[in-house]
Amino acid sequence: MTHPATRGPGGPLSGVRVLEITKVWAGPYAGKMLAHLGAEVIKVESMSNLDEMRAYGGVDINAAPYFTSINQEILSVQVNMKTPEGLDLVKQMVAQSDIVIDNIRPGAMERSTLGYEDLRKIKPDIIQCSIKMWGNEGPLGYQTGYAPSFASLSGLTALVGHEGETPKGMNIRYGDSSSGACAALACIAALHHRENTGEGQYIDLAAVESMTSLLGDSLFSYSVTGEVPQPDGNFHPEMCPHGAYPCQLTDWISLAVGTEDEWRALCTVLGEDDLASDPRFATLAQRLDNRHALDAAIADLTGHQDAAELAEQLRHAGVPAFKSMSSIDLCSDDYLWGREAYRMVSDHKNGSRPIIGPSWRISPEGPKVERGAPLLGEHNDYVYREILGLSQERLDDLIARKVVD
Amino acid sequence: MTDSPGALAGITLIEIAERPAGENTGKLLSDFGATVIKVERPGGAPTRRMGPFKNGESALFAFLNTNKKSVVLDLTQPADRATLDKLLAKANGLIDDHDEAWGARHGLTAAEVAQAHPHLVHCAITPFGQGAPAEWQNARSINVINAGGWAYHSPSEMPHEKPPLKGAGRFLPDYESAIDAAMATLASLHRQRKTGKGQFIDLSEVEVQLNRIDCVLDRMVAGDADPSDERTAYDMGGPGTSFAAKDGHIYLFMTTKGHWNGLCKLMGDPAWAKEFREDWLEFDCTKENVVRFREKFSEWIIGQEKLAISEAAQKGGVAMVPVNTAADLPQHEQFIHRGFFQQAEHPVFGTVSYPTVSYKMSASPVRVVTPAPALGAHDSEVEGL
Repeated sequence: MTHPATRGPGGPLSGVRVLEITKVWAGPYAGKMLAHLGAEVIKVESMSNLDEMRAYGGVDINAAPYFTSINQEILSVQVNMKTPEGLDLVKQMVAQSDIVIDNIRPGAMERSTLGYEDLRKIKPDIIQCSIKMWGNEGPLGYQTGYAPSFASLSGLTALVGHEGETPKGMNIRYGDSSSGACAALACIAALHHRENTGEGQYIDLAAVESMTSLLGDSLFSYSVTGEVPQPDGNFHPEMCPHGAYPCQLTDWISLAVGTEDEWRALCTVLGEDDLASDPRFATLAQRLDNRHALDAAIADLTGHQDAAELAEQLRHAGVPAFKSMSSIDLCSDDYLWGREAYRMVSDHKNGSRPIIGPSWRISPEGPKVERGAPLLGEHNDYVYREILGLSQERLDDLIARKVVD
Repeated sequence: MTDSPGALAGITLIEIAERPAGENTGKLLSDFGATVIKVERPGGAPTRRMGPFKNGESALFAFLNTNKKSVVLDLTQPADRATLDKLLAKANGLIDDHDEAWGARHGLTAAEVAQAHPHLVHCAITPFGQGAPAEWQNARSINVINAGGWAYHSPSEMPHEKPPLKGAGRFLPDYESAIDAAMATLASLHRQRKTGKGQFIDLSEVEVQLNRIDCVLDRMVAGDADPSDERTAYDMGGPGTSFAAKDGHIYLFMTTKGHWNGLCKLMGDPAWAKEFREDWLEFDCTKENVVRFREKFSEWIIGQEKLAISEAAQKGGVAMVPVNTAADLPQHEQFIHRGFFQQAEHPVFGTVSYPTVSYKMSASPVRVVTPAPALGAHDSEVEGL
């Protein structure tokens, strides 16, 4: 079943309706992915149980920067799920939806009688996806945590560190968004299964495992060879030099030399043909054996150079190279603005706001990403009047009694 | 566990990708049950020649190509190129990750594919998206993660003199890109069911990197926060980091009075902890206090065993976790309970353990059914097309 009247942004998932009972980042990010592919995504919210992201960084819950930076093309409906009537309204919404996503505390959906067995009684082919740190059950299913907890438990943190030092992992922010993306992927796969069989299903997603799945070949190789992978800085067993090298000021350049031609071209651009003829660096095997000396020699040659200009010269010479981009580099990058990696959407406060657009461009008839994050309850009328078919009188009464709050 | 053939039963995809970004996209989809026919050049895909090896076989290739079929085609030869067109005519989708010049040389540009096969979903994964300067398009994984900003800001709290890092393993940005590429492809295939029409998906690996940091970087793009050249620009502040324990490492995250009180109790309320305000994490979280806390906490945690102390911490409301190593995971009770690692036979390696996926699907579970194919194992299926 699809919903021809949905208010999604057009595009490939047009007609798919998603109900989102989510907070903070991983859950809303899953909703965003689906909305940016054209689904109609309705976020269930209330004043009494607000998404913390509406409170971070300011007091105006309708203009909170964290919230507006994630929730584009999302619709917002208010309902107090702690009231029996509110809960009943949510169930009526479920009956009109294809997918329900949540990332609230383990057991909370079940306690609200919104577990999968409850939902399938309301809509037999519903697809429900729960995102939890450890999944929805199991010996550690009760535990909760934050993005760096997922990464640490997953095995990822242990693999990211400078050689010989305590592994510090990726940036502390890494973890939520990747988990949300995995959830969105599984939801769309489940739509296909429903098309094939008529059957809905329950998707039990563990954020920790989302991180672990990003280590696939490293963990599989451990199973095959018995060699435990280690935090290895920027080491690559098949490329050398391979890493980040200092440039002027606080800049760095990334280099990945994978062939002898690239190696010779690097030496030429750096003006050091002696390096190319140095017997310590004559072959890949020798460069790998002497890589610390090689890294130091290259750092001496790059240290006084402009990272962006050097990278440009190297790329023209056929050497894969790119400046290591800081946040100010990224914000001011002409190529990214030109390609609409950042794009403008509507904004209730300022008229328009730049957002980070999806990684995909789909044509023809791709999804439009134009509407900024919703005001709290901005789509109450649409959801209650049009989707659920309530009278205005009834809606006014629900608002007056704070069932819709 | 059901005997479901997988969520994507009945869908056929042709994979001409030759890098982990595209190959893992194909794997995510083949593990969902799609028929993925991998087109390999004579001599085999480049990843067959990338290590580590055992008995001459690449573990990397064996991981990235589970549940796929292999046919050998030399796409520079007209007859083989025509065979590819015959495969595409019968398929639902095409997965590519070459640069645009390669597509042009092989008659596989977006326009050419759309013209010849209007029903086809064509996903092209490239480092910077279509239209990037030609010399940018040979960027490798480490260039992508540096171009996308995660390397510069990883790990957290790095001083300017330490090099930015590539992330875990060789291919972290490839795995991230594969998720988005598979997702967009599946969305478009859903539309194909309704309309019979194909679409072109232009997937930028660097833009995946940007999207994953949306609520931090976008606030800077929009002027709500200041961008800078600081390596700490994505950080959160606070005492959260990894610490050395007796038998490995733990990660501690703390932001509230509740976390602090829980930790003090766990440590047996030491005298030094009383020098901190009860609400210091919320209202007095200065750099000096973070340094002082870490110094004292480090002295205590080095005497603790990572699993036992983390479990006690969790029960006391403290978000402390062990930093699990690759060797810890297969023996970990929660991973075992969820069946994350799947044991299976591989014709060269014997019994191996495949890491799988984070989504347990009740009706269409993801399974490794067949190991990565031998080169050209399915050539006979395309003969006479």
